[in-house]
Formats: sequence, C-alpha cells, structure tokens
Amino acid sequence: MNEERLKPVNSVISTLKKSTMTAIGAVLALMVLMASVFSPYFLDIYNLQSLIRDLAFIGMIGIGQSLLLIIGELDLSVGKIASLCGILSGIMMMSWGWNPYLSLVAALFLGLVLGSINGLIITKLRLNAMVATIGMAGVYGGINLVLTKGKAITGIPASVHVFGKGSLGPIPYPFVFTLIVLILVLFFVKKTKTGRYIYAIGNNRDAARVLGIKVDKIRIMIYSMVGLISALAGILYVARLGSAQSSIGENWPMNSIAASVIGGVALTGGIGNPAGALIGAAIISIIQNMIVLFGVNVYWQSAVSGFVVVIAISFSSLSAIYQEKKQRKIKLTK
Amino acid sequence: MKVLEACNITKVFPGVTALDSVDISFELGEIHCVIGENGAGKSTLIKCLTGVYEPEAGSILINGEDALKNKKLFDRIAYVPQEIDLFEHMTVADNLFLPFEKSGLKGLVNKKEIEKRAVPLLQKFHINAHPSTLVKDISVSEKQLLQIARATVHEEYDVLMLDEPTTSLTTKDAQVLFDVIEQIRKANKAIVFISHKLEEIFLIGDVITIFRNGIKVAYSKVNEVDTPWVITQMTGREVDQSQVFYSDKIEDEVLLEVEHLTGQRFTDVSFSLKKGEILGFSGLVGAGRSELMQAIFGYLPIYQGDVKLKGEPFKRGDTCYSVKNGLIYMPEERKSQGILPMLSVRENISISVLDELQGTIGISKKKEADLAEKVIRDYDVKTPDIEKEIQYLSGGNQQKVIIGRSMCCNPKVLIFDEPTKGIDVGTKSQIYRMMKDLAEKEGIGIILISSEMEEIRKCSNRIIVLYEGRKVGEFASDADKESIMSAVIGIN
Repeated sequence: MNEERLKPVNSVISTLKKSTMTAIGAVLALMVLMASVFSPYFLDIYNLQSLIRDLAFIGMIGIGQSLLLIIGELDLSVGKIASLCGILSGIMMMSWGWNPYLSLVAALFLGLVLGSINGLIITKLRLNAMVATIGMAGVYGGINLVLTKGKAITGIPASVHVFGKGSLGPIPYPFVFTLIVLILVLFFVKKTKTGRYIYAIGNNRDAARVLGIKVDKIRIMIYSMVGLISALAGILYVARLGSAQSSIGENWPMNSIAASVIGGVALTGGIGNPAGALIGAAIISIIQNMIVLFGVNVYWQSAVSGFVVVIAISFSSLSAIYQEKKQRKIKLTK
Repeated sequence: MKVLEACNITKVFPGVTALDSVDISFELGEIHCVIGENGAGKSTLIKCLTGVYEPEAGSILINGEDALKNKKLFDRIAYVPQEIDLFEHMTVADNLFLPFEKSGLKGLVNKKEIEKRAVPLLQKFHINAHPSTLVKDISVSEKQLLQIARATVHEEYDVLMLDEPTTSLTTKDAQVLFDVIEQIRKANKAIVFISHKLEEIFLIGDVITIFRNGIKVAYSKVNEVDTPWVITQMTGREVDQSQVFYSDKIEDEVLLEVEHLTGQRFTDVSFSLKKGEILGFSGLVGAGRSELMQAIFGYLPIYQGDVKLKGEPFKRGDTCYSVKNGLIYMPEERKSQGILPMLSVRENISISVLDELQGTIGISKKKEADLAEKVIRDYDVKTPDIEKEIQYLSGGNQQKVIIGRSMCCNPKVLIFDEPTKGIDVGTKSQIYRMMKDLAEKEGIGIILISSEMEEIRKCSNRIIVLYEGRKVGEFASDADKESIMSAVIGIN
C-alpha cells in the first residue's frame, strides 16, 4: 500500500533530477490534468480564455523579473511603472487628444525611461535593489495619484481596446504579446553576448569584472528592459479594462517573483530560464482559477492560494536538497 | 613539562603530503616559534594540533592523554587566527564573551554586567577602548589584542597559539602585543608563535622549529642560532633546482611600462616588462602585490603614476579596455574572482570571446563547443564533458580552464596571481611549463605573483620584491635565495 503511494512521488523526483524545466513542465501538466478532472468547467473555452488572459500579465512581468533575478537583483516597482504608463497612455489619448498609437509608443518609451532611472540610481548610488525599488514604487505610485486624483480614465477607443479584449483565433491578444516578449527575451539570453553576460554577472559579479564585462552598463540595460516590459503589460491591461486605473498592477511585483521562483529562477542569481517564469505564472493562475472553480469561501481564497504557492516554490528547493544529499553520499563513498 | 606533544604526525591531501612524520612538543612557560615558507605545512600543523584536521597517522597528546580519542582535550588549546574575525558591529564586551554560555554568563543578557566584567580583562591586555565601543571603531592593534583576550577568556587553557599576529601591526603596536605575550608566559602557559618576521622571533622566542615542504627540518634554542642559519634552514639548498622554467627567448621590445604607481596598499612602484619575459613578484602576503596588479588591470583605483602598454598610454580603471587590449589578469581567488561557478566549462571558456563565435543567428553553439573542446585538449583539462558545471572541477583543472580562456583573447601581457595556490605538485610543473611556452612561443610578457620562493626562482627571469607596498629589491633569476628572502621579510 505504502509502496504504491510512493511510486508517483519517486517518478516526480526522478524527473526533478533531470532538469528543472522539464520538472516544472511536468508539474504544470499535472495541475492541468487535476483541474480538468476535478472541475468540469476548467476546460470550458470561456474559462480557459480568461485564465490565459490573466496569466499573460503575470507571465509577461515574470519574464522581465526573471532577467533581473538572473543578475541577482529584483524590481518591486514593476506594478507601479505599469500603472503609471497605462494611466499616461490614457491621459495622452483622452485628455490631450493624441493619436492612440502614438500614445502607446510614448507610454512604452516612458516605461523604458522609468526602468533606466531605477537602474541608474541603483548602480550609481550603489543602492540595494529591493529597498531602492520599494522607494521608487512609492514615487511612481504617488505621481499616479497626483495625475488621476484616484479617478479612472474611461472611454479608451476601440482601436486600443481590441489589444486587451480581442483574440487572435482562440488566443487572447495579451497572451500573444507575452509569447512575442518571451521569444525576444529567449533570443536575447540564449543567443546574444549580453544575454550570456547576465548569467556571468549573476554567477559571480567580481569574476565578471575581471573578465572585462561592463557590469553596471548591463545592469542598467536590464532595468530599462524590465521597465519597457512593465509598460507594455500596463498598457495592455488598460486596453483590457477599457479604462486606465491606478490600481493596475497591485500584486504584480510579488506574483512575478513567485512565478520566476516556481519556474526555477534562483533568487540568488545566476540560474534560470525566463520561459520558466511563464510556466510559473501559469501554475499560479491555475491555482487561483481552481480556488474559484472549487468554490472556496471568499475569505479563505487568499490564504489557500498563498499556501499552494509556497508548496509550488518548495518544489525547486526540494530538487536542490535532493542534489545535495546525493553529492554528500558520493563524497562519503569515496 | 610537555603539555602538548605530537608524535609522527602525517597529513595527506590529494596529491600533496602536507605534513610528513612530524614530531613536535611544547612546554609550559616557553615561547615556541614555528617558522617556514608559505606551504611549508605550518597551518596544517596548527589545524591538526587544534583538532580541526585529523591526521592520517600519528598521535597528539595533551597533558599526556590522547587527544584524538578524547576531543574535549582540544579545549585546552586557545587559538588566535591570522585573519581578524571579530563581529565588527557588536561591542568590545560582546565580542569578548561570545558565546555567552561558554563564558559562564547565564540567563538573560545583561549589558551592564558584561561591560563590568570586561573592564579588568581589557586592562590586562592593554586595550584602551571602552567596553561599549563597537569593534569596527577600535584600532587594528586593539582588535588583534582583543582576539587574544577572547581566545583566553575562559582561563582554562594551557597552550596559546598565535598565527602571524603582527602582520597588520606597526612596530610600536607589536611591542604592546609582546608585553602581553610575556605576561601570559609568566602565568605559566605554553605559547606557540608563528611568524615570518625573524627579528620578532629573536626578540621574544625561546625555542624555534623550522618547517620546509611538510618536514620538520630543524629545532634549536633561539639564543644558539642566528638569522642566516634560520634562512638557510627555511629555504633549503636542495639540488631540486635542476629544472627551471624561465623564458629563454626575451626580445628587446618593452611591452609594459609602469612608472611611479601609487594606489591602495602600494606606493611609488616602477618596473617594465619585455616581450617573452617572465617577471616574478615576491613578497609576504599583504605586501601589496595583488593590489598593484589589480590596479594596473583596472580593477582597483590608481592614485598616481603612469602605465604604458607598448609605448601607448593605458586607460585606467576599465577592465573591459584592458582585456580588449590584451592585458589579462588571472586572480588568486579562483572561487571569488575567477570562475563562474554554476555555468558549464563550455560557457566559462567562451565568455571572453563571444564576438568571434557568432553563427547565422546569434551565438553558435557548435563553434562554442568546438572552442571548448580545443581548450580542453590543448590545456589538458580533466572534465567528464564540456557541459559539466565548473564548480565541480578540481582547483588545478579550474586554473587550466582560466588559463585557456585567457589565451583565447590574444593576450600581450598575462598576470598570474598565485597560479599554483592549492594545486598539487604534478599540475604545478604543468602550469610552469605552460607559462614558459607562452612566453617563448607566443612572445607574451608574463607577470608571476607567487609567495613560494622555489616557484618564483624556478620560473622568473627577473624577480621584484615588494615589502609593505614598496619595491625593495630587484634580482636576477640566479640571485641567491638568502638575499631575496631577506628582502621579502624586510631586512635592510
């Protein structure tokens, strides 16, 4: 009886041994399977579409966040950058009467600028990334409130609305954008010189300097990329809602970090794959979706989803603990 | 009475015999100096005598009892390490009594009581700082004294071991330390004093034991011997000199010119390096050799002076520029400055030359793999495959990867900082051979920093000695060992 039960556990562990990515993929597949078995509504096309639309945003921010985690840093202002850029695109369109597309491009550019401001102050003033971006989140959020006085900007034109609300075939547009971002980012980390350098920096910042890598320049660059990605997510969210609100992106910093960690990106830097962050985002979104589908009491939802996220994160450290034990055994037998 | 006695101790590390059948004993009320070059086995001996390492053979007796069977006996030995390892952001009194249980302080932490109890101890050790001062705010010599005070706070010790306690002290501060040591000796404790500074040994030592290559080569009363005898014993005059690795093909072209350079921990240093030459830098640990080279490389700041590469002025403080222009530094601290631990051997090799490995779309994995395979072959790196994370390779193989990687960037000047630190004897001569080949066949100028006298004499065409950040001597490769050694330890 006991052995029977252990079998699936053993197979999970043996998958974990092979590669983090396949392990997370397996966990995702398992969750999809469980969700579709336990709830008849899970595979409903409407439910799937809204699920994918949700995970597109956490996934996109997670992909950006994973780049920062790989160099051993993080950005807690991603949500506020997203909402500020979203709001400003709304203001440019509605209050200033700019061409909608021009407004979107301008908002994207603003995201790039805000990201590089983060990067500049962190590298030049030698600040801790976490503390500095908490501070900057306050600044960006404050500007947001000054501009909107807390009111939503409504009446976003249909030409923009479609980016958030529409679909390419069955696939919601936001997810299409997330896939495009993922492909670009994967090309960046796998195929370009700078992409390789970010792993070097995350592995050993001093060694990277000795190798002649321009560490600070690359750090600033990654912060601006994350700013740009955040702005894109913010604009798409405005397009989805049809109105620009300052509450956009409230949970994004924490969710993006959780998604990356579930996806096998190490908080200590140097290890991970941005694609893992998207899978991690999918896992988080399915957890949240299942909680709703299972009809968990509203007041319990947050606690349950938090608990499940902690379990999901521990998968990646479990494989590390397992590896360590194996190493120790090898040493002892030697 | 012999309080601590080690008989026939042998300690083996992979590839090296660090201690070879060593007998040594210590008596109460005696200052016993232990001396030897870096790598002679002093630290290993200390670690065996304090119970950190367990020797493969031999026995250790403390007060006549076998300490390897009863590890509790090692508590009788107080040890003060070379590096200061105090808690900088805690008070002097906290540092003195941590861990509190061991110092007999029970229950809740009472700040007032701890400070009160600290006062007489601080007086005893001539520490003028107030007990409530943070350790980061007291002077280096007070820190050193505080380390000793901390090690002896329980008073139930018989032997006090001091590992190079004066390296960071001025002569005046050292005198205070010696007074304290004298006082402890009078309290009838055995003192083990490890130092490179011979004058100190003649000042305070009673007996001296000299180590060379893991073997105890001499033992004597201090007042029966003189400095030249000690140096001869330390360096040895083995005929092992036969194989030399200095370059036989030095060209006239000057590659690197350094003029009156001043920076962190080095002052007014000038030298030049020719094409195909191996230039050795000798000195004690902390003499400023690594700092000098890191400053030239652009990793640390330069305050004053000029650097010229091939007659052209050299940009300061930019490691990227240095690498691009063929000046490459291979750090002593392989783990913290050399390798990218969690990346594969392939990625560790290709990282410096990714520009040359472009395929149709971005970096070509095939070209990368080919390069990695070539480096592994050429430099005889032992690894199961190129995808192995480099952290799992041995130190020697990591070093070969680093050398191979540096060679991919077409270097003109290579700086090797302690290239054989922690590397076994066989691989050592392999690395010497590589340096010689690079100098002769590729015409590369090589700077070799090494604390091992043998190594520096075997490999260098010229030897420059730094002492406390200043250039104190320049020797030809055939200069006698004694005069180089004297310069290294600051005599004259």
